[in-house]
Amino acid sequence: MGVLHRQRWCGATALAVPLLTLASPAFLKLAGVAPSWAVLWLLPWALVDGPASGAIAGLCLGLVLDALHLGQASEVPVLIALGWWWGRIGRRGVPIERSYNLGLLALLGSLVLGVSLLLQLSWSDQLPLSLAGLHTLVAQSLITGLLAPVLCSLQLLRWRRIADLRS
Amino acid sequence: MPGRSLRVPTLRKLAEAWPWWLLVLALVGVRLSKGAGFTDAYALLSRPFWPGSAQSEWLRSAQQLERQSNLQQLQADNQRLRGMLQLERTGGARISAPVISRQPGGWWQQLELGKGSDAGLRAGDPVLAPGGLIGRVSSVTPTTARVQLLTDSGSRIGVWVARVQRHGLLVGQGTPRPRLQFLEKDTGVRPGDVITTSPASTLVPPNLLVGVVQSVNDDLSPAPEAEVQLSAPVDAVDWVQVVSR
Repeated sequence: MGVLHRQRWCGATALAVPLLTLASPAFLKLAGVAPSWAVLWLLPWALVDGPASGAIAGLCLGLVLDALHLGQASEVPVLIALGWWWGRIGRRGVPIERSYNLGLLALLGSLVLGVSLLLQLSWSDQLPLSLAGLHTLVAQSLITGLLAPVLCSLQLLRWRRIADLRS
Repeated sequence: MPGRSLRVPTLRKLAEAWPWWLLVLALVGVRLSKGAGFTDAYALLSRPFWPGSAQSEWLRSAQQLERQSNLQQLQADNQRLRGMLQLERTGGARISAPVISRQPGGWWQQLELGKGSDAGLRAGDPVLAPGGLIGRVSSVTPTTARVQLLTDSGSRIGVWVARVQRHGLLVGQGTPRPRLQFLEKDTGVRPGDVITTSPASTLVPPNLLVGVVQSVNDDLSPAPEAEVQLSAPVDAVDWVQVVSR
């Protein structure tokens, strides 16, 4: 694990995820669908702090977000997997910094998260695999991918600087 | 060439990470309580930005108009129920509550209200907006309540088409327009028919306006289905009324 999780204020920024999910600002929506704030926070965190920290952060975020939503569909498994995957990517090769890469990773993460929710809701006979589900899936992935280069790169730079200073 | 050995953290390392285990345990508690602490904290933080009283007055006048338009139907229905079922229902108190979080789109269609069990709200209470019924309370905390909108994919509620005297099941689709499923084949329902809550409902008060039929698909088997436009504007409402049961 990296050193970022030892900085309490860095970890405390995760509180922005449930707050933004509840506040759901209208000007950051695409076709009425909000971005996946968990993906936008988890991506830079896992890239800087490694797979174990990313997976644990994914678990924590997933538990909180599941608590804020109706029904039994869970975001926990996918957020753990994404945290681990992005942590592994951050640990190998050239550090990911380009806007395109960040946007693509966030878009993929949001897509995987959306597909898992769509399948869970479909299996529980709540939401048929219809245009409504696909609309939410596509809109959320696009808005998450579009916001990632702006938000994730800022977090990435800040947290990388802190990690470099502390290590 | 030897393969990479799997690094297993020792028990000592796991024990050293006890604050993180405590955090995860606490978050499991949050998950099991359906986010009670978070929604309460959000309600406390967002209190300065809650909608003002002007909306509340507008809500009251809109509901007065709604009551007038429904009066005739309610009286006729009351007489019929009294005669047939001797069903005595006293309308519960209506509690005004501000909308502090709104998610009408996405995977879940829900609202968070700024009043909870301390104000007398309970899970299952119907929620009204100017124009009619919008959903039911799904869960409550002491100061907040979560509302499952009629458009949510998990929402199912019995409704009544007064013109043709037919019951149907209003099923949320995750879209702004829920689907109305009928039990019989020949319903005679057509676009423009008004949908209300079932006169015999025990879950929600009877004869509350729900919406209007937009289109009917008579070709479906075993029974036709209709698309319903809800009469209450969920996207715009800042105050709602919860009918305590």
